[in-house]
Amino acid sequence: MELFFLSIINGLIQGGFFALFAVGLVLIFGVMGVVNFAHGELVMVGAYTIWLVHAQHGVAYIPTLILAILVVTGVGLLMERFLFRPTRNDPLAGLICSIGVLFILQVIATLVGGEGPSKQVPPPFHGTLVLFEFLRIPYQRLFGLGISVLALATLWYFLTRTRLGWALRAVALDREAAALQGINITRISVIAIGVGAALAGLAGGLMAPLTNINPHMGHNVIITAFIVTIVGGVGSLSGAVYAAVLYALFHTFVTVYFGGTVATICGLILMVVVLIVRPTGIMGVRVSE
Amino acid sequence: MSFSRRDLLRASVASVVAAGSGTFSGNLLAANKTVKIGMNIPMTGDYAPWGLPGLYGCQIVADDINAAGGVSIGGDKYNIEMVAYDHGYDTEKAVQGYKKLVLQDKVKMVMMLGGSTVASILPWAQRRKMLTTTLLPSDITEKSEYLIATCESHPLYNVTGVDYLAENFPEAKTAAIVTNNDAEYGLQSAATYKAAFEANGIEVVDVNLHGFDITDFAPIVSSVLAKKPDIFCMATSFYVTPLMEQLYHQGFKGKIISCTLDFYDEIIAKTSQEFVDGTIFQFPDFDDPKLNEDIVNFPNPGDFDAKYRAAHPNDWSAVSWEYPAILLNWIEGAKAAGSVEPTDVLNALKSNSRPEFIFGGGHWWGKELWGLDNAVVGFWPVVVVEGGKARIKEFRSVSGWLKRNKDLLIKHMKELGLRTV
Repeated sequence: MELFFLSIINGLIQGGFFALFAVGLVLIFGVMGVVNFAHGELVMVGAYTIWLVHAQHGVAYIPTLILAILVVTGVGLLMERFLFRPTRNDPLAGLICSIGVLFILQVIATLVGGEGPSKQVPPPFHGTLVLFEFLRIPYQRLFGLGISVLALATLWYFLTRTRLGWALRAVALDREAAALQGINITRISVIAIGVGAALAGLAGGLMAPLTNINPHMGHNVIITAFIVTIVGGVGSLSGAVYAAVLYALFHTFVTVYFGGTVATICGLILMVVVLIVRPTGIMGVRVSE
Repeated sequence: MSFSRRDLLRASVASVVAAGSGTFSGNLLAANKTVKIGMNIPMTGDYAPWGLPGLYGCQIVADDINAAGGVSIGGDKYNIEMVAYDHGYDTEKAVQGYKKLVLQDKVKMVMMLGGSTVASILPWAQRRKMLTTTLLPSDITEKSEYLIATCESHPLYNVTGVDYLAENFPEAKTAAIVTNNDAEYGLQSAATYKAAFEANGIEVVDVNLHGFDITDFAPIVSSVLAKKPDIFCMATSFYVTPLMEQLYHQGFKGKIISCTLDFYDEIIAKTSQEFVDGTIFQFPDFDDPKLNEDIVNFPNPGDFDAKYRAAHPNDWSAVSWEYPAILLNWIEGAKAAGSVEPTDVLNALKSNSRPEFIFGGGHWWGKELWGLDNAVVGFWPVVVVEGGKARIKEFRSVSGWLKRNKDLLIKHMKELGLRTV
């Protein structure tokens, strides 16, 4: 029973991270129609910022986390301005551009951090919360979960309670109809990639003290993000959040009871099954031509 | 008064230095030929910690030798030039790099990490009769005459750590093994650890295999600790830090044994010194006083350690001294052969039934497991973290263990589907 409760906690924590980068990916795809293959590398840039500024130069963690968000947002905005906007009418070109950015960011990370071993960031929050004498949760992971929930709640408020959020959702639903209503597509695209990149930067910054940091860490991130996006329903923000939590719990429980290798295989099988049985995902909507 | 192998090495280095610093040093250096030694290794990517630090180490050894006037081989003086190619642990790049080193750079030996990258170049290396080294003797096959493993006998040396643990902590009766699910590193280590635990009457309660896509080790550690092992064994090197971190947070109080503990100062920073103290592993720091014992065949390890850490303060890993040790093996072989040609050096090395081995007691082995006696096994250090510093506790014989338990090892390798003869 202890293992069961611990697995739920671990699954929720992991789900928070998954949701942060999956929602960003969905947001960019929904509004701009671009499958951003460099999204994992945006997470990586966030983690590298923490390593470089916090671990290497001693700047406090929270200000560095904010800096990581700003840096990754900046990278996202540059991608929008110089890559995605000029190729707005060609989704394939946007996809190829994002693959190019993926490699460029990996090389920049190698130049900045040097070749060699993965980088490590000492946890800014030491210690472990012990509940009921058996549930042991490191404060760093609790912090990550709390910030993830806060960020997603803020995003939900922004999307459902503000005019800008409504406009963003309108563009995601139907870009042409939104444009006919006077919504500035370019402005909304900038906001979408800005928010998506900021969430990726936040995810990277939160994960940095908990994982191995290297230029290729985005690879695992993007695979997870794709699984979550497909299971949740391509283009569905709420679907991405639900799928992130469900997938994280699924992955955690399979890892615990059947092993990590089986969990990896099961994750990919799950994605394939959803594509076959319910191509629209949990929350996706079938669109007729 | 005895004259040890270590004294001989020191005397050789001292004499070369003396000659090089004399009046004729300029002439000597000017007359030197150059022999190129290739390194076809991962310098970027996930495997970079097992490539790049080795290049740094070799460069230090080569610079020292060259500064001292070079090395005498067959009546000629040679300077050593290291030529490296980064294959990023990609098999296609490994083939490109190997051909570039051999055909374009005309190196006389190629050092590699091992695994699939070695398998990819092996047929070509055999045809070219190019001397190649690996850190994974499991790469050796019946037909790989030109592939040798003269330093690291991965993962056979792990048995020494288990023997030490069993002798010193007899109350530890159960063990759980965690490793990555691959036949090159993880499963080889897991089979060896299983055999070593069984040889010591320790029950293995879990073998937890995971892929390379894990970003969160909390579920894995939770799952393993639920089986209440006395010993947590990490038969991996990729994920030691996050595993140790999770063990710390989940309150593990038993013994920890690991193949490597690279960058243990970072692990201490993420956990605590008290927690990391007592961890048993296999790769020493080179400022360890025990490396000054006579059985160790590495000239001035403390000096090497100081130079290395001054030049590359954050890059010390298990391979920092392993590739240099192989380079020193090659020099001994070339001196004995009186030639730098790959076949001559290989024959000279193989004809020595008691080859130089970094920790002493070496002999050629491997036929019974891989089909060819092309790996050198001997003594290997058992290292324990004490007071936040890695310290060698003792040297133990891998050869002796293999004599007693070879069949047990083969049984566990077969159980995990690994290749044996």
